[in-house]
Amino acid sequence: MSPRNIFIVALALGGAVAAFAKNVELLNVSYDPTREFYGDYNAAFAKYWKAKSGDTVTVKQSHGGSGKQARAVIDGQQADVVTLALAADINALYEVAKIVPPDWQGRLPNNSAPYTSTIVFLVRKGNPRHIKDWDDLVKPGVGVVTPNPKTSGGARWNYLAAWAYAVKKFGSEEKAKEFVGRLYRNVPVLDSGARGSTTTFVQREIGDVAIAWENEAFLALKEFGRDKFEIVVPSLSMLAEPTVSVVDKVAKKKGTEMVARAYLEYLYSDEGQDIAGRNFYRPRNEVIAAKYAGTFPQLELVTIDGAFGGWAKAHQAHFADGGTFDQIYLHK
Amino acid sequence: MKKIPNLSAKILAAVVSISALGASAATDGGDLQTLREQVRVLEQQVKALARQIELREEAAAATAKSASKVTVTDKGYALASADAANSLRIRGIVHFDSRLFFGDAGVTNNAFVLRRARLNAEGQLARNYSFQFVTEFGGSALNIRDANFSVAVNPSLQLKFGKFKTPVGLESIQSDSLTFFNERALPSNLTPDRDLGVQASGDLFGGTLTYQLGVFGGLGDGGSSTNTDFDNSKDLVARVMATPFRNVKDSPWRGLSFGVGANTGREKGTAGRTAGYRTDGQQTFFAYNPAVIVDGENWRFSPQVDYRNGPLGVIGEYVVSTVNVRPGATGAKAELQNKAWEVTAGYVLTGEDSSYNGVVPRTDFNYQSGTWGGLELVARYAALKIDDAAFPVFASPASNADGAKALGFGFNWYLSKAVVFKIDYYQTKFAFNALAPAVSAAPLLRQDEKAFVSRFQIGF
Repeated sequence: MSPRNIFIVALALGGAVAAFAKNVELLNVSYDPTREFYGDYNAAFAKYWKAKSGDTVTVKQSHGGSGKQARAVIDGQQADVVTLALAADINALYEVAKIVPPDWQGRLPNNSAPYTSTIVFLVRKGNPRHIKDWDDLVKPGVGVVTPNPKTSGGARWNYLAAWAYAVKKFGSEEKAKEFVGRLYRNVPVLDSGARGSTTTFVQREIGDVAIAWENEAFLALKEFGRDKFEIVVPSLSMLAEPTVSVVDKVAKKKGTEMVARAYLEYLYSDEGQDIAGRNFYRPRNEVIAAKYAGTFPQLELVTIDGAFGGWAKAHQAHFADGGTFDQIYLHK
Repeated sequence: MKKIPNLSAKILAAVVSISALGASAATDGGDLQTLREQVRVLEQQVKALARQIELREEAAAATAKSASKVTVTDKGYALASADAANSLRIRGIVHFDSRLFFGDAGVTNNAFVLRRARLNAEGQLARNYSFQFVTEFGGSALNIRDANFSVAVNPSLQLKFGKFKTPVGLESIQSDSLTFFNERALPSNLTPDRDLGVQASGDLFGGTLTYQLGVFGGLGDGGSSTNTDFDNSKDLVARVMATPFRNVKDSPWRGLSFGVGANTGREKGTAGRTAGYRTDGQQTFFAYNPAVIVDGENWRFSPQVDYRNGPLGVIGEYVVSTVNVRPGATGAKAELQNKAWEVTAGYVLTGEDSSYNGVVPRTDFNYQSGTWGGLELVARYAALKIDDAAFPVFASPASNADGAKALGFGFNWYLSKAVVFKIDYYQTKFAFNALAPAVSAAPLLRQDEKAFVSRFQIGF
């Protein structure tokens, strides 16, 4: 075959490849209660990206307990991006698998936490057990629903919020441990994720109070009716900062780095922030946040850095094997 | 998991306790409020225990879902990752033949033959990449039949690299275990077999059009690559098949496919000519003189049709193969054109669908349960004609036929999809060039070839 013919064939093959390279698929591995938020957000991003680049992007979602999801990505799940409940779970992607860089958190504004949330109580209508604050959760006979901190990011925020309250009230770590121990003695079921806990409390009618993400609690009111449940805001809670990152190693391999980066950056856009607000996440953007100010109650919020010295310390002290959670729960 | 029975026992105990409390309340008329609270607590315990069982079952199901899968079926033995993105399948083919010739004046050719004994490892990596490695242990020498890998871009475009079948002839690219007859018909003598190359292929327009387009090393008629290219030139190969009524429900033409395969290129050397054309009984009836070399352009063109309608299957193909040859390194060049065609039909008596991908019997043969598998009758007629200009310079008219016409009948018994017994009768009539002597110098050409070829076949 002449060189000219070889060139024509090569050109045809190359052209065919280029012609089919316009469909992009991303996998977003996320934590449990973000299903509805990312359902809305993915549609908005696809529209935005189509208008900007002409490419069609399809985002597939995977949801579960944040810790469990991080483990799945470490074990090989081909996530282009992770949007997890807490920074510690994304840190694990670096520490265990080196699939994100060590400075992943500095790549996006607000330490890569485009929206925040907090931890509140969901109780049955009329609040028959008179739950007002954390102290009411440790009373004998009160059924408390919260997921397993070993697998759920939300559960870690729940645990740490209770701990922070106890430290503030009793002034010692030892008293806090005893307080949180009493709380977990009232937990009949440990689900692996926050959505499972909602099912346990709302649909299986187990427990008197669910310690829940604020957004999940609002969603429960919206989905199951304000005539059945109500939200109780404790005197103190955590500023929960769900974080996001491109999984560099996977995105690079799949050739989706640029779209994956844009996908996360768009979370900070006005539209992304508005979708977060609509789905009961607290927007970072002050203008958008002001729009939803009436939705979210004001309360004292402590940060992971301020109250616990950061996620690394908190994880080691409380959630690592043999940490305080194990000590509390194994002796329940 | 072992704790689930304990949970069930706890639930039972709790239910019994609730019942007992109710009875106690009725009997004693005690503090109703206290009893209500106790019932509430016990009810919560029952619900919590039931939820724990539910969660354990969910966890067990999730674990099973995420586990790698081992599959053993009559399509082979497979390992696959939980997400099916990575897999390995081991397949195999064994064809054990009996060839019985008669009426051929004592030519020694009756034989048992291990026609094929192949181990096929196929796999998929990262969902879009696949490979195939087929080793032949049958025949006279161990060799690699296929060794290739593919990149699946999407259903419209798949790229394949390595050694695999050259997409020209209809019957020649069909799997060895799936042809109507034990041996392919005469036209497959004129098409290339496995070659080294790069190919793009795919389905277009909802699968109504399939194509293959590739660049290959180039082969002589019926040839297979010895894992290296024998000259500098390359062949351009293309094949297009249309199935225009494929998506028309209930149309009698839904199973009609037609198209064309073709190749063009240049070859040089003895390796570029055919090693010989063979009868249905696999006896050589034509071969060029040993000194003949190919030198120049070659091309093949093959219109082809495949029709399936329920148990009926019909295929037809015509092949013209043009080759430039010299009688030796220095002789004058001539362009020769050899042609062949076939029509083959099969009918599955037991009612299963005829298919290019083989017959799948509704039941497997099982004497004790009285099931007999699938039964198929097949028939074909084929002819091959050598260019008259081949004689006498490039081939001896005394020891070669210049054409053959072959009639075949056969019976296929599908004991299962993987295990088949086939018996064929072939009768081939030879034609000779005008320069040929009255009696051929080749004993096997002095009479029609009459042969029974039977086969026990395992292909999975």
